[in-house]
Amino acid sequence: MGQFFYHFFGIGWQGFLDIALNSYILFRLYVLFRGTNVLRVLFAMGVLWVLRQVAVSMGLVVTSWAMQGVIAGAALVIIIVFRNEISSVLQTKDLKSFFWGIPRYQRKTPVGIIVESVYELARKKIGALIVLPLNRGLESVVQKGIVWQGKLSKEMLVSIFWEDNPVHDGAAVIQGDRITDVGVILPLSKRTDLPSYFGTRHRAAVGLTEQTDALVIVVSEERGKITLVKDNQIYDINDSAVLEKLLIKHAGSDTSAAGVKKHTRELAVAAAICLICVTGLWFSFSRGMETLATQDIPVEFIKSDQNMEIFSSTASNVRLLLSGSRPLIRSLQPDRITVKLSLTNTVPGVNKLAVSRNDVTLPPGIVVKNIDPSLIEVFVDVPVKKALSIQPFWTGQISPDLIMTRAVTSPATVSVIGPHQVLTNMETLFTEPLFLDGITASGSMSAQIALHPATIRLEDQKTDRVQVKYTIQNRGAVSP
Amino acid sequence: MLLFLPAAVFFGPDARAQNPLSDDLPSGEHPLLLQPVLVQAVMCEAIERFKPVNNAVVFSISLGRVFCFTAFDPVHQETIVYHRWYRQDRLISNAKLVLNPPKWSSFSSMQLREADKGPWRVEVVDSQENLMETLRFSIVD
Repeated sequence: MGQFFYHFFGIGWQGFLDIALNSYILFRLYVLFRGTNVLRVLFAMGVLWVLRQVAVSMGLVVTSWAMQGVIAGAALVIIIVFRNEISSVLQTKDLKSFFWGIPRYQRKTPVGIIVESVYELARKKIGALIVLPLNRGLESVVQKGIVWQGKLSKEMLVSIFWEDNPVHDGAAVIQGDRITDVGVILPLSKRTDLPSYFGTRHRAAVGLTEQTDALVIVVSEERGKITLVKDNQIYDINDSAVLEKLLIKHAGSDTSAAGVKKHTRELAVAAAICLICVTGLWFSFSRGMETLATQDIPVEFIKSDQNMEIFSSTASNVRLLLSGSRPLIRSLQPDRITVKLSLTNTVPGVNKLAVSRNDVTLPPGIVVKNIDPSLIEVFVDVPVKKALSIQPFWTGQISPDLIMTRAVTSPATVSVIGPHQVLTNMETLFTEPLFLDGITASGSMSAQIALHPATIRLEDQKTDRVQVKYTIQNRGAVSP
Repeated sequence: MLLFLPAAVFFGPDARAQNPLSDDLPSGEHPLLLQPVLVQAVMCEAIERFKPVNNAVVFSISLGRVFCFTAFDPVHQETIVYHRWYRQDRLISNAKLVLNPPKWSSFSSMQLREADKGPWRVEVVDSQENLMETLRFSIVD
């Protein structure tokens, strides 16, 4: 299948999967955060990033540095300032809506009940302040009231704003078919162009819509008039049909064919933009200007016969000359590259193994240009154990008047493990050179065992020294 | 490279009587027991009057030659032994020495040169390839 994709599109199946997965992730982020300030700031960050790249390409050092600082600051701002919006998005009710569903927050709002309740309140001249949030969270804007979580009904809504109710002065928040909070204190607008008959409720409604995308309904206590505030726009409601229409529009319950078509078109455009962005990003990563890099990677030998052991090899690392786009090369970690050589067809002794491109595993988008060395000689054999005599390796010069008549080591033999081929012809292990200069009388000394060739090792690694006891006699005193 | 010199020394005919086994066992029935008995094996600086001189385990290269002396008693029948000279586990020379009854001494030697410095050993092996003795020594400055 990979060959099919590569043949027709010039990219492997991993590339397709990579683009599809990331496009969907980007699309989901858009769906979850659409309409919120987070998305706007993210978009602004993207623009700043593009500007920074332009500044870098033009060699504007300070500008690019400043842009980088602003982007880093913006990332911090998103987390701190919009923590409530982020948490309200992430604290989703179920995984399906998080990964798959298209959220329409006010879709199930019983608009009819709200309209009836509002007109009932107006008739009775009961002041009311009703908030219907959309996408942006209210937590960072309002002073939280009392959690209500009651099912929405005309009687309940009227009773909340009843004069003797302790929470009647605050706002009631409606989400879906539930009254979630009551007695909520909203921020007041500082606008000076508001009509003089607007009281605190109206000013609070305008204040909230200045900072969020919520819809607020105000019922005037003195005049019994209904006012709707949305996106900083004030609508005097004289007709229940108008109120209902505005509520439906706000709630996204526009189930008409045109509404569904518009909504679908918006999502399709967003999906297409996500796909284009990710595809462009992918190609800029993988098909950008070719960059070369070298990496020293350790060779992993795969044994097929567990009795065989590798005793030596001419190289334990290979130097790979790698090619790929600059971002991929820069992000390349050596631990993501492996070089594995199979010892399946090796025989006891020295084997020449060719290191080919097939033996190298690389992340997608990176290719091998050269392998050095391309041939490794590996000495494999069955390890055997053998007792070898130890002989002192004397060097230097002994006084002409003296003769060393005896030299014994303790222990006399040691057990070593090594390749069968090597140990077959070995009988003796020697010590490191022992200097005769200065020796004038019998004595003893400690000596390090020299392990040569390096393919052998002591069975007991701790006993790598022997005691050498020697006897010195004067030349004239030596018995024939 | 080096000059190898095998040699043999004949001893008195009464030596046969010194081996109690040789009189009791018929020749050829027990080949192992009929092998010569090694009674002396030494490395030395010289051989004088059929005797090793200055037995040692370290020899100066300036001596020019080093000797391996072996004495067998008894020697039941004419046989051979080998003096195998190894320098650092590498066989340099294999000296074949003939032994004659009733007892026999023999030696081999090695002429030394500068490149021969280092640890050596001589293995004394009988005709059945049995290792009789290993002599270890070093050639130094």
